[in-house]
Amino acid sequence: MNIIGLIIAGSVVLLPGVALLALRWAGESGQLRQFDRQALLPFDEQEPVGQATDQILGRKHS
Amino acid sequence: MSASVKSPAVRALLPGDVSPETSAPTLTADIDASCRAPVLFFFVSGLAWLLIGTIFALISAYKMHSPDFLGNCEWLTFGRVRPAHLTTVVYGFAMETSIAVLIWLMCRLCRTPLIAPGIITIANFFWNLGLTVGVVGILAGDSTGIEWLEMPKYSTPILFISYALIAVWAIITFRLRAEKHLYVSQWYLLAAVLWFPWLYGTAQVMLLLSPVRGVVQAGVNWWFAHNVLGLWFTPVGLAAIYYFIPKVIGRPIHSYYLSVLGFWTLALFYNWNGFHHLVGGPLPAWMITVSIVASIMMLIPVTAVAINHHFTMVGHFGKMRYSPTLRFIVFGAMSYTVASVQGSLSALRSVSEVTHFTHHTIAHAHVGMYAFFTMVMFGSMYYILPRVTQREWPSARLISLHFWGSALGIILYVVPLSYGGILQGQALNDASIPFLKVVALTLPYLKIRTFAGVILALGHVAFAVNIVWMLVRVFGPYRKPLQMIISGSEQPAAVGK
Amino acid sequence: MNYGPLLFLGILLTLASSWFGLVLMPNKQLGNLDVHTDTNTLAVYPQARNGEAQQGEEHYRSLGCIYCHSQQVRTEGYGSDIARGWGRRRSVSRDYIYNKTVMLGTMRTGPDLTNIGERQPDYGWQYKHLYNPQITSAGSVMPPYAFLFETVKIGAHGPNTNALVLPPEFSVEKGYEVVPSIKARQLVEYLRSLKSSVDVPEAEIKKEEAK
Repeated sequence: MNIIGLIIAGSVVLLPGVALLALRWAGESGQLRQFDRQALLPFDEQEPVGQATDQILGRKHS
Repeated sequence: MSASVKSPAVRALLPGDVSPETSAPTLTADIDASCRAPVLFFFVSGLAWLLIGTIFALISAYKMHSPDFLGNCEWLTFGRVRPAHLTTVVYGFAMETSIAVLIWLMCRLCRTPLIAPGIITIANFFWNLGLTVGVVGILAGDSTGIEWLEMPKYSTPILFISYALIAVWAIITFRLRAEKHLYVSQWYLLAAVLWFPWLYGTAQVMLLLSPVRGVVQAGVNWWFAHNVLGLWFTPVGLAAIYYFIPKVIGRPIHSYYLSVLGFWTLALFYNWNGFHHLVGGPLPAWMITVSIVASIMMLIPVTAVAINHHFTMVGHFGKMRYSPTLRFIVFGAMSYTVASVQGSLSALRSVSEVTHFTHHTIAHAHVGMYAFFTMVMFGSMYYILPRVTQREWPSARLISLHFWGSALGIILYVVPLSYGGILQGQALNDASIPFLKVVALTLPYLKIRTFAGVILALGHVAFAVNIVWMLVRVFGPYRKPLQMIISGSEQPAAVGK
Repeated sequence: MNYGPLLFLGILLTLASSWFGLVLMPNKQLGNLDVHTDTNTLAVYPQARNGEAQQGEEHYRSLGCIYCHSQQVRTEGYGSDIARGWGRRRSVSRDYIYNKTVMLGTMRTGPDLTNIGERQPDYGWQYKHLYNPQITSAGSVMPPYAFLFETVKIGAHGPNTNALVLPPEFSVEKGYEVVPSIKARQLVEYLRSLKSSVDVPEAEIKKEEAK
């Protein structure tokens, strides 16, 4: 059980530390800029924004 | 996209009557074609498990108010059919369809065709094998007695092989992605792929291989069971909603920032929820309190997701009339809010005092797993199947029958049973009411539940007929599919004539 | 914007938090919980079950009794568990250290069984109830477990001592009797072993309620 205690104590310090470093790296290297452009990823030239898909049911069956 | 099929893989299946104006090759069609075999295998075997699971469900529901039904058969006693129902619908239907949706979404969003799709097909074989062994084991009496983890431990290695193949392939696809930007659905999918083996592995080791002592088992059990919902099914379901709502209505998600906030708050809070299944139980209060707090915190991601989906849909609700996918997905998205709020409230000590140990919990589980998750998977299947098979749905009537059977069936299931569960809980907490009186009080709600189950079963049969009909066409002569893409202003095409 | 590594790390860290908090920590706190020895009487609690009862626990698991019966008594004033006689005191972690599979249960379609050994110690009642719950509890929704019993011809030496004494409307053909199989006997031994009658320091039985 001492081993588990050590693992817990070690990770309490280590894991958030690594997380903060990663966040700093992400911010500095510009990973977090232009964030909401990614909302356009489901679309492409053939099915661009503004074009509905899957409209396959006729009115009389609705 | 439907008629403009150019990938070599798909064109090989066509008799060469593709009209010239639509013959420019497209990456999307390539991707859909590459996913064809694995997606079909997982969808079709998932559908088979759904039908088997529905039969188990009807047997258990009927036994609940008529205990003599099939009473002489040890293999079909209630305590075995019920876990067989859970295992077939959760690890059979829900897991298999979610794997297919995950693989297809991952490929589409990474803009990469699936490499060596045969690997996923092999994984499908092993998953079905492991599951068959597991379900037969449960019926034969080898259930582990641990809720959500009933499959005997000899089925685990087979399932593990299958899952390892799927996870590795999903991560390889992610690493090889042509599109470096990530969409929020990919966050959820990647997270689910990584979380699940951790959960399942921990549960297997600490509960079956070298079981921990005493009530720690109950803790690990509910940490696992709740996280399978929260960290596998919920992320895959949300990934599908985040993809299909924008895709079908042709409008990006309302707020991308909000979706990211929703992801990280879900990741932070959901995995701490499990012990709310043990409120009042023989574990130290701090553990349970932590889970209650985390359950209330879940209102943050749930609100973020609900607001985001609602504002994306505003002005586009009319498109639900023409899109089967959108109908199911929007129904599922709304149910997600209902299930989550109901879950957060049920975690409160004062509410749990009444609802814990009653049919209310069963109703709640079906709001989450059926009204939310299963409906989202149905919606996804309506979108994905025509695109990977290059065939249109044969019957619009069957689609409607399926939707209304599932939607009305599940409402008729959960509303009366939730209410009956509260009455049951209040009666249980009044020690002056004899126990058998409490049992009698629940009977009407249990009978309504069986009736609701029959309606759900009808919906499932309609769905199965439509899929089999569609697949017969795949192997039969090619028919030119109907135009699937209609711009917002144009008149929608109709099928099912 | 390739923040794949960041995403990967976040995904692992979030789950790691509850893995420590809800899996490893409880195991550290409760995983080595041991028996309690009464300083006056030197009585040790809990005791491991005998072999028959242990076998019975396996049948309890295999037949899925957990889907309708809980085995946990909530504290006085929270629900009516103690008022219903389901236990003399609330259940504590120590009660379960000898259970092979801890089946706390989440449903009370049937009553809680923590204290069933004290509430129904009678073998005859238990056998009849398992054979067909309607005999002892009319209106119950518990399934019959007749498949754990054998209907045999009454031998030359007269009826078996274990044979069920069935009321007329449930009786079998004349000259035959219903006897419990080994499974039924083990299951009843297990049920009789379920008792909540011993004081532990963390939850004492109220003195006026104790006998």
